[in-house]
Amino acid sequence: MSNNTKKWFSLNLNRTKKSEACGCGNNASSCEEKTPKDGYNQVMDVSMSRRSAFKKLTAGLLIGAGAVSTSCSVISGDESKEKSAIEWDEYFKGNYKLMTDKEKNETVNRLVRSYELRTGKKINLSSKDAEEDVLFGYAFNISKCQGYMDCVNACIEENNQDRASQMQYIRIHEMEDGKGFNFEESDDNYYHEVPAEGHFYMGTQCFHCDNPPCVEVCPVQATWKEKDGIVVIDYDWCVGCRYCMAACPYDGRRFNWKTPEVPEEEVNKNQHYLGNRLRKKGVMEKCTFCIQRSRKGQNPACVEACPTGARTFGNLLDPDSTIRWVLENKKVFRLKEDLGTEPKFWYYMD
Amino acid sequence: MKSLKVVGSLIKDSLAEITHGSRAYHIWMAILTFVMLFGMYNYGIQLEQGLSATGMTDRVSWGLYISNFTFLVGVAAAAVMLVLPAYVLKNIDFKQAVLIGEGLAVAALLMCLAFVVADMGGPARLWHMIPVIGVFNFPNSMLTWDVLVLNGYLFINITVPLYILIMRYQGKTPNPKIYIPGVFISVFWAVAIHMITAFLYQGLQARPFWNNALLGPRFLASAFAAGPALIILVLAVIRKFTEFKVPDNTIKKISLIVTVAAQINLIMLISELFKEFYAPTHHSISAVYLFFGIEGKVALLPWIWTSITMNVIATTVLTFHKLRSNFKILYVACGMLFVAIWIEKGFGLIVPGFIPGPWGKIAEYTPTFVEISVTIGIWAMGAFIFTILAKTGIAIELGKIVYKKK
Amino acid sequence: MKYLKIAIIKKVMLGTLICLFVISCKHTEEKYHNVMEKIEGESVKYKAPSVSSPMINAEIKTVLVEEGETAFLIPERKSQISSYNCVECHTEPLSVLMQKQVDKKAAHWDIKLNHANSEIMNCATCHTSNDMGNLHSLTSTTIDFNYSHKLCSQCHQKEFKDWKGGAHGKQLGGWSPPRLSNTCVNCHNPHAPQFEKRWPVRFNTEKVKERQ
Repeated sequence: MSNNTKKWFSLNLNRTKKSEACGCGNNASSCEEKTPKDGYNQVMDVSMSRRSAFKKLTAGLLIGAGAVSTSCSVISGDESKEKSAIEWDEYFKGNYKLMTDKEKNETVNRLVRSYELRTGKKINLSSKDAEEDVLFGYAFNISKCQGYMDCVNACIEENNQDRASQMQYIRIHEMEDGKGFNFEESDDNYYHEVPAEGHFYMGTQCFHCDNPPCVEVCPVQATWKEKDGIVVIDYDWCVGCRYCMAACPYDGRRFNWKTPEVPEEEVNKNQHYLGNRLRKKGVMEKCTFCIQRSRKGQNPACVEACPTGARTFGNLLDPDSTIRWVLENKKVFRLKEDLGTEPKFWYYMD
Repeated sequence: MKSLKVVGSLIKDSLAEITHGSRAYHIWMAILTFVMLFGMYNYGIQLEQGLSATGMTDRVSWGLYISNFTFLVGVAAAAVMLVLPAYVLKNIDFKQAVLIGEGLAVAALLMCLAFVVADMGGPARLWHMIPVIGVFNFPNSMLTWDVLVLNGYLFINITVPLYILIMRYQGKTPNPKIYIPGVFISVFWAVAIHMITAFLYQGLQARPFWNNALLGPRFLASAFAAGPALIILVLAVIRKFTEFKVPDNTIKKISLIVTVAAQINLIMLISELFKEFYAPTHHSISAVYLFFGIEGKVALLPWIWTSITMNVIATTVLTFHKLRSNFKILYVACGMLFVAIWIEKGFGLIVPGFIPGPWGKIAEYTPTFVEISVTIGIWAMGAFIFTILAKTGIAIELGKIVYKKK
Repeated sequence: MKYLKIAIIKKVMLGTLICLFVISCKHTEEKYHNVMEKIEGESVKYKAPSVSSPMINAEIKTVLVEEGETAFLIPERKSQISSYNCVECHTEPLSVLMQKQVDKKAAHWDIKLNHANSEIMNCATCHTSNDMGNLHSLTSTTIDFNYSHKLCSQCHQKEFKDWKGGAHGKQLGGWSPPRLSNTCVNCHNPHAPQFEKRWPVRFNTEKVKERQ
């Protein structure tokens, strides 16, 4: 019945195929084009066939329940058919971490197309991998931060964060001089002229730990550390158990308690699969060092927005990078170092 | 073929059994059904709106659902610990209790799973967790361990009693060689589900309130108090409403288990309190919040003090042999103990773990109506399942339904 | 007989437990103990990655700073100064211009010097009436406006050192080479180098609600 050339089962609802018989879900799998298997596919098929079997089983159940009827109905337009075909494929795709380049491309194309179908606008969705010889690190100059919060705004705009719940990845803590780093007594939601007399400012966000506890606890490996040190989340794989949130000692993670709202005209169309693409309800998200920017050689939005130069970002492996100079020449420290999480986010003072 | 026939007949007979009963039974089941439906309706709202329909926030990201889950794991584990003396030590007294206990374990486990599913942000994507089809982060994530042990435990607890009941149903004696290994495994497994659920919290260096070596043992102690306490109450009800004979001695023996566990639990509580308040550190703030409140934020105060008062009173009452032997007092004490531990090991454990947040911010948690309704609905579901299981089980044990060879 | 079986069961259980513990050792492929070790170890065989700073384009004119071992780009300054070139107005000596000021609109009226105190600094600390188109150092060496950091570094040695290294001053462009950093006057007004007080650009009302 099936020739297993495709790793993801697809219904082929209306993608103009040769025969008329391919119209509906029941015999869809027999309609797939026959292409000879190469060695690579043969190997991959073994591990993936189980999921496609599961998919087919579910397809069968759904057809039985009549749930696919809408996508098969004659009256619904081509676009809605395509939409449901995309949704179908998206629901059954695998974990991004384990996808081949081809699969990554396919899902990226689907997501771009899906956005186009919904809004009529094109997005630029990247799936760029980590570069060799890159390990990202971040340094924050406590003496320089003035507490303007320009970084917070830039981050929200860049990363398409939910406007309704005012989600923000970055927190700026206003601390009193002479009390040390007393987070309990600090205020991260001040509203008065800054810098306030006798206070200093300290920003926190996801620290992209080298030994991240959040990655360890995720039951489905929906979050992991990329080769360049960025801790990312596959928003489509996350099941929303929030165990990672409980495991993070730095309050780096955010949860979409409801469907995030970003006005269409404010959507940043320059996106990365693991970065700022639009999220859905019930999944985790967090700072990704603006992966859509940093993988292209740019600085994260917070670094670019900071008017005081308190934020330094760079490649830890490059001996000539500024971040390395900071680590080697300033008295740097990290927060909660005793937990052994090895954050790649250092603080220093002038 | 024959065994299939037996099972088919058993299902038919038990269906007949559970649909017939006294007026009180019907009213009870009707109420449960209504509450379940109401819970499901509210769960529908939650699915529609997302978890924002609950009181959870980024600050307190686990609430009532996970609290109940944690508590029920204990109930499930404790129920089966009664199996050991019954089957191995030839202590006949326990046998009736064991059947009830295993039924309770099954009901509690199903409730656990329901609570976990209710807590998920994307329940539709839960297939990602199925090994082989999805990605199972084993052995790194304690949650995957928990999934394994809970489902394994559920499997054991369904198969063992099912085997025994089917044999009884046919009028045969169950073969100990077949079920004793299962019983043994389930006893070890009961400890495992408990410890692993404790490890789930204990393994988080981010939350000092949980990151505490006493958590696992305390889970066990409190479970062995709360679980058997519930069994005593259930046995009391069964004694009253059915012809099932539960000898006084059984209840007395179980109450002894409850007493010892409650005492150990209290000692551990004192040890924890001593550590947090004699030498308070930065990490004691959660405990301060729990027991005294911080900056006027006192949501948990009435609960935890009620819990501690009830716990102390119940344990004291149970400790005196004379008081414990009076069944009326015993039932009240067991009820108090059960509620006390539900509070203490439920949201008394989960919520303060998140308060203060990693940066010292205090945001309180109040469950919403939707959340409470779903919770009550799941409890009703547990009671419903247990009632069905117990009714069938009792009927078989009493020989009311017997396999008729045609 | 029965106890023997129990013993066997116990052994099997123990075996499974041991197996579980063995496989449950955390699976980490990392060979370094901490991130500093990792940085050291991995950067030994460092080869510059292929990405390069995308912001270095025609929009920002740059000049190269070479200080000892470090070399990096800073934005070109002269084209950014609105009244440059100075000699367009400063055709006569300053004293002559000052006398004419009675009937002409005052130039540089908006400049209030708020940089150190007047005993230490005045206009002539950096500018000279002899050569308006350039800055001059304490020792009267000519300094090009594009390289004003040389002037600042006379006093602000510590900041200068940090700036060269990258701990002070904002990076333009991206993290990847070539490096492009703001120079002193891109962030600090040389006549009033302190940052101004202002209101934060954000106030989170949801957070307030959450913490009630």
